[in-house]
Amino acid sequence: MRSNVPITRLGKFFGDRDFELEVEMGQEWLIGDMNYTCVLYKIDRNKIKTDDVYGEVTEDGVKFLPPIEFNAQITVAAPENKFIGTTRMDQFEPGNITISVYLKTLENLNIDVDFGDYIGYYDSENFVRYYTVINDGRVISDTKHTYKGFKPFYRTIIAAPVGPNEFRGL
Amino acid sequence: MALPKSHPVKPTIPLNYSKILLPRREQIKDMITKDGTYLPKSLLHADLDKGFLEFVKEKFNIVSEGKKIPVVDIIITTQNWSQFVETWDFQNIDKNIEPPFLTIIRNPEVKYGNNPAVMYNIPNRRMYYYMEVPTWDGNRAGADIYKIPQPVPADFKYTVAIVCNRMREVNTLNQRVLETFASRQAYQVINGHYIPIINDGFTDESVLDLEKRKYYIQKYDFTMMGFLIDSDQFEVSPALSRTFQVFEVDQRTPKRKQKRQEPVNPEKIYFDYPNSATTKEIHFDYTCNLYFEDSKNIGSYSVYINNQYYGDDVTLIQVNSDDLIRIIIIIGQVSEDPQLVFTQKLI
Repeated sequence: MRSNVPITRLGKFFGDRDFELEVEMGQEWLIGDMNYTCVLYKIDRNKIKTDDVYGEVTEDGVKFLPPIEFNAQITVAAPENKFIGTTRMDQFEPGNITISVYLKTLENLNIDVDFGDYIGYYDSENFVRYYTVINDGRVISDTKHTYKGFKPFYRTIIAAPVGPNEFRGL
Repeated sequence: MALPKSHPVKPTIPLNYSKILLPRREQIKDMITKDGTYLPKSLLHADLDKGFLEFVKEKFNIVSEGKKIPVVDIIITTQNWSQFVETWDFQNIDKNIEPPFLTIIRNPEVKYGNNPAVMYNIPNRRMYYYMEVPTWDGNRAGADIYKIPQPVPADFKYTVAIVCNRMREVNTLNQRVLETFASRQAYQVINGHYIPIINDGFTDESVLDLEKRKYYIQKYDFTMMGFLIDSDQFEVSPALSRTFQVFEVDQRTPKRKQKRQEPVNPEKIYFDYPNSATTKEIHFDYTCNLYFEDSKNIGSYSVYINNQYYGDDVTLIQVNSDDLIRIIIIIGQVSEDPQLVFTQKLI
């Protein structure tokens, strides 16, 4: 439900200006000091080539809007050495990426991250790994995502690695 | 409107009927020894595995997005995967195999087979006559007897798995499998042997976890009803080319009752004189005595041996080999034809 009711909780010692200050300080640390970046490949849902019946994307059929780089806290999970199902074919599968991004950052860049969008993260200068968003973290009503229970201030996005037959970037 | 593709249209019509019944069985038998010796070719675990691999490559050759879906061209065991990853050619930058692909897994355990054609047999694996092959050592013709043990039935369980990202790829393989096994079984010729394969069903192990990379995994289970023939167990032995027979006899004189001699009626010689003839000649090729037996309408007779006078009305004529006996008679008073009868006794 959208409304314009001012938030007055923690009002004796915390308010909107404090909240803005904390977020700016956090952004200063994340963007100015850490400077972790990733690239959002926002799916162009009008141009994407999909299967008529199943809606699955054909090879090289993913079309995306101009990529946008944004700062976020990045955590890449450890790869898993596991069988593919029960096929006895083991492979070293890269882990998911967890992206914690300030709502303010998304708002400043005028972007949103949805299920199915692709995210590129440079492991090194010449290697980028692509992920598809499997949890866009849109629901941020939990206390963890609020600043001391005052207001939510970041999203946690989880993306799973994809192969080149699904998405190859530019 | 659906139109026939170019490849199903036959450019020519076969003029001969396909062989059936006994001729077809003979044709299959010839396949066993084609391009080889008179003996059937070995059929062991590795041969059957390779045959199934080729079966999958041939029958489940499917295309997605204009590209052929590759088949991992080894049978996956627990040992070989790490070696194989060094050589496969459809891997991604992480050296992981990249969907879509097909893979074949063989269950390590191979149980005694259910193929009814070879399931019940005589114990102890005796050798059976298979063929007699003519030989020639430069001097004489002979033959070799080829014997083989009865094949051992064995059931090989395989799983063909497709790992892919798109439902159309799953559909295509499913269509191929159902078409190939529409009559439940399919066949693969391995080393000239016709081996039946049956479909045991399939399972879906698609990864559908929310926070994992999603892909389809469908596994089709097959049983190859094979049998094992090991050429090392074949036996070739020479057949009989000549026979030398030896008889051993008891040299002691047996005590037997003497047989009574059967009375032998001596043969008679007739001198006939028809049409008022008075002379008759008979040539003898052997030595004998002629004893006078009887006469009809004869007054007297004179005997000549080799044109020399021997005597009149003699009752014994001694004849040597190659003698010519001539007897001249004087006809009696009666009107019947004269006749002289002698009994001969060989000497």
